[in-house]
Amino acid sequence: MLNSIIKYFKIWLKFTTIATQIAFTSRFGATVFIVAKILRIIFFLLLLIFLTSKVKVIAGYSLWQIALFYATFNLIDSLTQFFLREVYRFRSYVTMGYLDYILIKPFSALFRSLFGGSDLLDLPVIFLSVIFIFIVAQRIENLSLVGMLLYILLVLNALLIAASFHIFVLSIGVLTTEVDNTIMLYRDLTQMGRVPVEIYKETISWIITFIIPVGIMVSFPTKALMGLLSPSSVFISFLTGLIFILLSFKFWRFSLSRYSSASS
Amino acid sequence: MKKYFMIAKITWEEMFTYRINFIMWRIRWILGLLMIYFLWLSVLPKNTVFFGYNQSLMLTYILGTSLISSIVTSSKTNAVGDEINQGNLSNFLIRPINYFKYWFARDVGDKSMNIIFCVFELTILFFILHPPVFIQTNFYFLFLMFVSILIALILFFFVNFLLGLIGFWSPEVWAPRFVFYIILNFFAGSLFPLDILPKQIFSIIQFSPFTYLLFFPLKIYLGQLNIIEIYKGLLISFAWTVFFYYALRYTWKIGLKGYTAQGK
Repeated sequence: MLNSIIKYFKIWLKFTTIATQIAFTSRFGATVFIVAKILRIIFFLLLLIFLTSKVKVIAGYSLWQIALFYATFNLIDSLTQFFLREVYRFRSYVTMGYLDYILIKPFSALFRSLFGGSDLLDLPVIFLSVIFIFIVAQRIENLSLVGMLLYILLVLNALLIAASFHIFVLSIGVLTTEVDNTIMLYRDLTQMGRVPVEIYKETISWIITFIIPVGIMVSFPTKALMGLLSPSSVFISFLTGLIFILLSFKFWRFSLSRYSSASS
Repeated sequence: MKKYFMIAKITWEEMFTYRINFIMWRIRWILGLLMIYFLWLSVLPKNTVFFGYNQSLMLTYILGTSLISSIVTSSKTNAVGDEINQGNLSNFLIRPINYFKYWFARDVGDKSMNIIFCVFELTILFFILHPPVFIQTNFYFLFLMFVSILIALILFFFVNFLLGLIGFWSPEVWAPRFVFYIILNFFAGSLFPLDILPKQIFSIIQFSPFTYLLFFPLKIYLGQLNIIEIYKGLLISFAWTVFFYYALRYTWKIGLKGYTAQGK
């Protein structure tokens, strides 16, 4: 088991190094992308700050609580982008037959397709998000050690659900060669979690919490940190994570069984 | 003229060919709209006024900018940079076709489809959500709004095309466009009406071209500008359009001189 982990870590490191070298072949492009990502965060944050400075409370949450929701969304989103960027390149692997080459390698094709090109350009956003969470959390009252522990565990659970979504996207890509819009649809859905899910109408709020678990991914960790999450919701969160990852593995295997290698 | 009509028609057919892409893209549009709609609904309960906007005016603004955005900012010219980088531009240079009119015809096809689907989707959302929208009955305001939209879509066409021409000098055409869209998203007023910003900031950005893409047409529709302000705005947006027209022509001329058809 340990040997396997070390082996896959080395593979990931190799792929990440190569992907980073590629990303920095155009230093201008890399810099502009990083600046743009930071700008995007600042702009939306400015809007939230501006709104809450005038309205005081949105959906029952104060400025700092809203900011914590947004910072947590950014952390989960940027971590997902950082680790799973390779999924965005997967379509061409299927249509050009490169997936055959991945399948015959002596390591997991799923691992290669998910983690084969981590994006270092997301690192600044991850650092910023962590710093931002620390600053915001200090302004929120009644934080407990249990809440903090649950927050970390639920963020990890969110990453597990995000990985499941990406595996579903890969599988759909194998079956239909459609990846780009599916992955962007996932991103748009998660964007709905930039603000607490309570702002949406009850039906939509329920759907994006339990059917497409954006709420579980993004809102629940923040609520746990603030001590607003019930034990049953914590249990449902982890159960959802487990169910999603198992289903995604099953779907991936199914998609591979239907892979025709037509383009190679 | 007939050939450009055919290009617009082919753009329609092309979009229907990739149906999954098309459906996903429409779903994404609805999700984005829902997020910002519910955020404002939550910020502005009934009988509250926020910087001169009551709930009805604000929700009309949000739904209206979504519709106008799909007319003004949808553009096929995003591909111009890649066409230059891949050398495909050469194919157009030897054909009896005007490259600018070709892309404008494609935009017309794209925008007309957007208008039809947006109106259809907004109608459905209207029946589901029952938003308290403001209906403008003054035909003069409606006429001026259409004029401002017409100027806005030509202005956006020139700006977006100009960004594509970066391809003459750099393979990195997506990074500058990414920054442009982030700035556009914030300063065009698609998330909020720009005049709720602090006065000093608003007085500066009202001279930028972004203001006249979405915010300005909607302000005319809402009847919140007097005739002098409307004509002043039309004049500024027209001046920007003329400026970008000449900037585009000049850049195109210089770019063609150095064009080597690399990649072909």
